[in-house]
Amino acid sequence: MASLQRKNRFHPSVSFPLTHQIDLYLERDFPYTEPSHSKIEFGAGGPRLSAAVPGCERWLMRRRLESMAEDATRALGKGSLPPGPVPEGLIRIYSMRFCPYSHRTRLILQAKGIRHEVININLKNKPEWYYTKHPFGQIPVLENSKHQLIYESVIACEYLDDAYPGRKLYPFDPYERARQKMLLELFYKVPHLTKECLVAFRCGRECTDLKLALRQEFCNLEEILGYQNTVFFGGDCISMIDYLFWPWFERLDVYGIADCVSHTPALRLWIAAMKQDPAVCALLIDKNIFLGFLNLYFQNNPDAFDYGLSC
Amino acid sequence: MSGGSARSLGKGSPPPGPVPEGVIRVYSMRFCPFAERTRLVLNAKGIRHEVININLKNKPEWFFEKNPLGLVPVLENSQGQLIYESTITCEYLDEAYPGKKLLPDDPYEKARQKMIFELSSQIPTLLICFLRGQNKDDYSGQKEQLHKEFSKLEEVLTNKKTTFFGGKNISMVDYLIWPWFERLEAVELIDCVDHTPKLKLWMEAMRKDPTVSALITDAKTLRGFTDLYLQNSPDACDYGL
Repeated sequence: MASLQRKNRFHPSVSFPLTHQIDLYLERDFPYTEPSHSKIEFGAGGPRLSAAVPGCERWLMRRRLESMAEDATRALGKGSLPPGPVPEGLIRIYSMRFCPYSHRTRLILQAKGIRHEVININLKNKPEWYYTKHPFGQIPVLENSKHQLIYESVIACEYLDDAYPGRKLYPFDPYERARQKMLLELFYKVPHLTKECLVAFRCGRECTDLKLALRQEFCNLEEILGYQNTVFFGGDCISMIDYLFWPWFERLDVYGIADCVSHTPALRLWIAAMKQDPAVCALLIDKNIFLGFLNLYFQNNPDAFDYGLSC
Repeated sequence: MSGGSARSLGKGSPPPGPVPEGVIRVYSMRFCPFAERTRLVLNAKGIRHEVININLKNKPEWFFEKNPLGLVPVLENSQGQLIYESTITCEYLDEAYPGKKLLPDDPYEKARQKMIFELSSQIPTLLICFLRGQNKDDYSGQKEQLHKEFSKLEEVLTNKKTTFFGGKNISMVDYLIWPWFERLEAVELIDCVDHTPKLKLWMEAMRKDPTVSALITDAKTLRGFTDLYLQNSPDACDYGL
């Protein structure tokens, strides 16, 4: 966690109604004192720290509380009331806590420090009103305070980069932008293959051919990193293309296919570097919670999407 | 704007030299709908360019150094930078060159054009099936599918109440979608827009656009090319020259 920075409640990058309360809570109740055990307790008032923690851990706790708060809403299903309009100064994302496509968009929101609210959708029991947000009921969808709707994860990510100030995740140079888009084309088989491997693995089926195909795709990506001789796909710093790839690599372990990167050392280095990124870290899903979700999902349990949420 | 009607280069041809400064090169094929997108944008923006046609039935070995997938279109600039995938080339040209912007500046309007383009994404696949005559078993089913795809676009025009997909003036998404509609007559599917009156009007408006009309190929020539292409003839790409 080399790139931790201390953020105070006036920092423009992250503000969300609940984070202001988290700040007051942390500063009032947990002043900077000697290191102690840190533990998150789940109570009626939501997640809270149980003991005083030192400065840098406080920052990490704060980030985790924020992301839990942002994402910790139960998925809305059939019969739920449609949400009201999006307040000014905020953008809304319709999402699902474990969806890799939504994950892309949430990474961009996080990386750019965009004030946002998350509404999780129960994908096995979609609310009727959700089809007014997306004609086929897919996620992610962005909705802003002007009632504008943006969907397709890649389009949503580019929209956020264009519409919001601060650090640009796509390069400025037109050729470098085109290069990132060409790299994305190279990636197109990966989501489908990882999903097929997961399904095969979960249903106790053979997936040797699938894994071989996935390894081949990873070899192509390895070749790019080798040719470029950079840590990240866009150069020496993390950028849009890395975030667009990341969700599927985060899932390799829980999908049971972590060995598919055994022959690709540069890709493994990239994975390690990605795990150091603050935005990636803030959204990292706990392995046990993910496995719990997958178990319920494959049993067709509509409560799968809320697995791991307190009360 | 030279070379649009030049003979295609095939196996054994010498690789072309570097691209001169002030010019951008497009590797193309006169009848390819994907490459047509790029040529439409080059012309709409008045970009100085040269065209090298590739014989897609007899590709030169050096072409795989331009695009490992061996597909057209590919852009090459005087810095030796290569860009491929038709939509990526079009966006690159709009960003890299001055003059009329084909994609809106407003982030939402730009995203909207991309969402509309996504709506049209099944049309190339379906039309390629028709062009190749690959759907004899399920002709009416595929035609029905095409109707459905056209209805999606009709809905956009109905909601927007404008002639073109981006507004009252022609813009990027119109050029990206056009080459497929240009080919409807050649595959005898022009009646598919009878159910979609706004789409039909859009086609008429497109035909009147100077850029589109400068690059239009008539149905007879397209049919002549397609017949030869389906027979895998190495002369297909130069049909009519």
